[in-house]
Amino acid sequence: MHPGSWVAWLALAMSVALSTTNPLYLVVLLLTLSLVAILTPRAEGAAVGGIRAVFLFAGGMFLLSLVVAVVNGSYGDHILFTVPGPEFPSWMGGLRLGGPVSAEGLVAAGIRGMAITCIIVSFYVFSSSVSPQRLLRTSPAALFQAGLVLTVGLTLVPSTVEDLRRVREVRALRGASNGFRSLPGLAVPVLLGGLERAMRTAEAMEARGYAAASPAPRVASIAVVAAPALGLTAATAWFFYPEFRWLAVLAALGGVAAFAAWLRAAARSRRTTRYHPEHIALPQRGAAAISCALAVTIVLIPIPGLDLGYNPFAGLPWPSFGIVALAPVAACAWPLLFVLSAPAGSGRATVLAEAPA
Amino acid sequence: MIANLRDITYSYPGSPRPALSSVSLDVREGEFILVAGPSAGGKSTFLRLFNGLVPQFHGGRLAGSVIVDGLDASRTPARTMAARAGMVFQEPEAQGVALTVEEDLAFGLEQQGVAPAIMEVRIEHLLESLGIARLRSRRLATLSGGERQRTAIAAALALDPRLLLCDEPTSQLDLEGAASVIGALDALHQTGRTTILVSEHRLDRLLPVVSSVVEIRDGRLRHGPPSCATRWLEAVPPHVELCRAAGTTPVPLTLEATRSRLLALPQFTVRPMEPPPSPGDVLVAAQGLAISFGDTEVLSDIDLTVHAGEVVALLGANGSGKTTLLRALVGLQATTRGSVTFRGRPAPPSVQQRAAHAGYVPQDPAIALYRQSVRDEVVDGLRYRPGAASVDDVLRSWSVADLAAANPRDVSVGQQLRVALTSLLAHDPPVWLMDEPTRGADLSVSRFLASRIREHAARGGAAIVATHDIEAAAHFATRVVRLNAAGIEFDLPARQAFGTDGPCPTAIASLIPGAITLDEVAL
Repeated sequence: MHPGSWVAWLALAMSVALSTTNPLYLVVLLLTLSLVAILTPRAEGAAVGGIRAVFLFAGGMFLLSLVVAVVNGSYGDHILFTVPGPEFPSWMGGLRLGGPVSAEGLVAAGIRGMAITCIIVSFYVFSSSVSPQRLLRTSPAALFQAGLVLTVGLTLVPSTVEDLRRVREVRALRGASNGFRSLPGLAVPVLLGGLERAMRTAEAMEARGYAAASPAPRVASIAVVAAPALGLTAATAWFFYPEFRWLAVLAALGGVAAFAAWLRAAARSRRTTRYHPEHIALPQRGAAAISCALAVTIVLIPIPGLDLGYNPFAGLPWPSFGIVALAPVAACAWPLLFVLSAPAGSGRATVLAEAPA
Repeated sequence: MIANLRDITYSYPGSPRPALSSVSLDVREGEFILVAGPSAGGKSTFLRLFNGLVPQFHGGRLAGSVIVDGLDASRTPARTMAARAGMVFQEPEAQGVALTVEEDLAFGLEQQGVAPAIMEVRIEHLLESLGIARLRSRRLATLSGGERQRTAIAAALALDPRLLLCDEPTSQLDLEGAASVIGALDALHQTGRTTILVSEHRLDRLLPVVSSVVEIRDGRLRHGPPSCATRWLEAVPPHVELCRAAGTTPVPLTLEATRSRLLALPQFTVRPMEPPPSPGDVLVAAQGLAISFGDTEVLSDIDLTVHAGEVVALLGANGSGKTTLLRALVGLQATTRGSVTFRGRPAPPSVQQRAAHAGYVPQDPAIALYRQSVRDEVVDGLRYRPGAASVDDVLRSWSVADLAAANPRDVSVGQQLRVALTSLLAHDPPVWLMDEPTRGADLSVSRFLASRIREHAARGGAAIVATHDIEAAAHFATRVVRLNAAGIEFDLPARQAFGTDGPCPTAIASLIPGAITLDEVAL
């Protein structure tokens, strides 16, 4: 799949995960995302570790949110138990440690934890199926500064892991133990080594002609400053002044247009070409467009029947479950259509496959 | 004239001393120039003048003028300069910017906005001419050092620059990789289209092929054709040194030319070094050692016993398991079978305890220097080793006493290596295990190291030194072990292994039967 399609998918998965508080839908979402994570082949040069580590990490974050809820205590009608803790004076801004723990509080914490878990898994899918170098190659030429930072950062990650291993070894050879207290001693050489290497990579890129061209025209600079301002205006009008929503829509369109104008102008002032450019196939374009539309709808437009919310503090009701609301959640599985229909070893995978040494 | 330097004086930001002073040079079209000189002498700085990285990327103060292909390199933007002067860097890992070989070659072309059809043709041509066509879709991370450097040369040539700058392109490579890179440069020079400047420590292979030589020492430049340069270059290959000492003019550049010249002058007498004292007690032994990575067995049934007074040079191609063997002896690598004993007793389990007996110096040990001063590094090296020598004695014995107050990150590469060795061997363990200690080191550093190793053996210690550099090893080894895929290929006394009829004769041995280093030849 094209990196652009994955960006659209990530936008959908993130907006569903962030706007859902209904635990039933969250469970379905987590299952869907896990399925995508398991069935999507890992890209060459992906910047993340194994899937097991990610699930362990996500599970750990889920547990952590429960632990925090217990330590913090919570209000509600169904008090399960009380954790002993000191009383803080009111001037400390309502700081709590211990106290009664309610079923509602635990459920709310579990919901938060599941949303976090979903976000972690979706980011795992994204970063394991799109190699950063491909993302960089397909990103607009205007974003070249970001590309430089990304590339340098990417070469830094694996080499830093390697440096860390070597510094630990050298410390052991000097007779030092490698416990927690040795961490400061490890951090300094690893960071310094990493920074020196980052400088060398940046230098190599500059020597290969990766640098800014003539500055973009003034109109483009104004456009790129105006775009976020217009976006902010749009958001303020939409959420706080319902009677001016038409203005919000206009501002939003203006912002998008300004941003597009900047991208165009910046790309023109930096003429680059692409070797073997990747094209998004038409079905993928459709899926990506639907993803974006769904993401916007979920965040902005209330649709009857499409209610992903749930409030445990309203007396712990049984969460609702409806087919309409399930649709965007299930839609997060769309990459599977392309991943599973691609014949094994086809397309990109063969290009990147290792020739025997 | 392709490039022209006039009265260049340059200082790095924050540095009181200029890195280059009053440097002038004219570079003619199609020249192949060797840039020699000690490490930290200014070679890298000199090369970076030609594509404007100095001063544009590094900052600092520059006086004088640099004209490359009609442009002022110190002011012209990098994007423009990249099309005129391509650069290959020392470290293979730090210069690939894309995922695969093909994409890496395309990178520079994409940045210049070259039309895809032209790009296609040029990339095909580069892949062919550098012999890397079969690597085209391989990921950079999976290439060997030599393959990566050839890819880097191809990438630097992608924009068809008139000037190619190579900053010690072979110093991180084994012999085979280095030969393939120098072969590629020579072939490029033969086409006459590109002017090449290459900096290097190991001159033996380059001297016969270059058209002129520049030496940069303490920021000053000397320049001349190779036949003249052999007279004033400080560090030259042993066969050149021999002819220089014998007063032969002109000095022959290749080993073969030297040999035919020597036949006419049979005036050398050989004074063999004193034979090493007969070995003492067993200090370290491996019995039936086997090590696997996943399903691949990299070492199997290795038996190696090292006695007091012995210095073993451990040879073998890349991937033959030299590093793995050393790491297994010190406990950094788990073994699948076999045992390691120190003085006849089973080696202790932890790395910390094993290193007290067998000090291991990994490749590029300078990574672990992080204290504020050289002295603190040594203090750190002794902290966990009760009863070891005093800090000052250690500093003196490794000749780093004058650096004691310096920050280890500010000293030169050769000094850094010495500081790292000092801190790792400060407790003076009976066995020294060293992994490529002379890699990228200039002559003075490797001479110093050889004398330290010999001293250590004379005091009843032992050492195992993994190396590719037989010329350096001939100065310290008493015994040579070569590994190959099957295990130990041979285990011979050094005089026999490096000798004229041995499996790996040194340059001197191939010229003068009975000698293995220049020190043994009396004029």
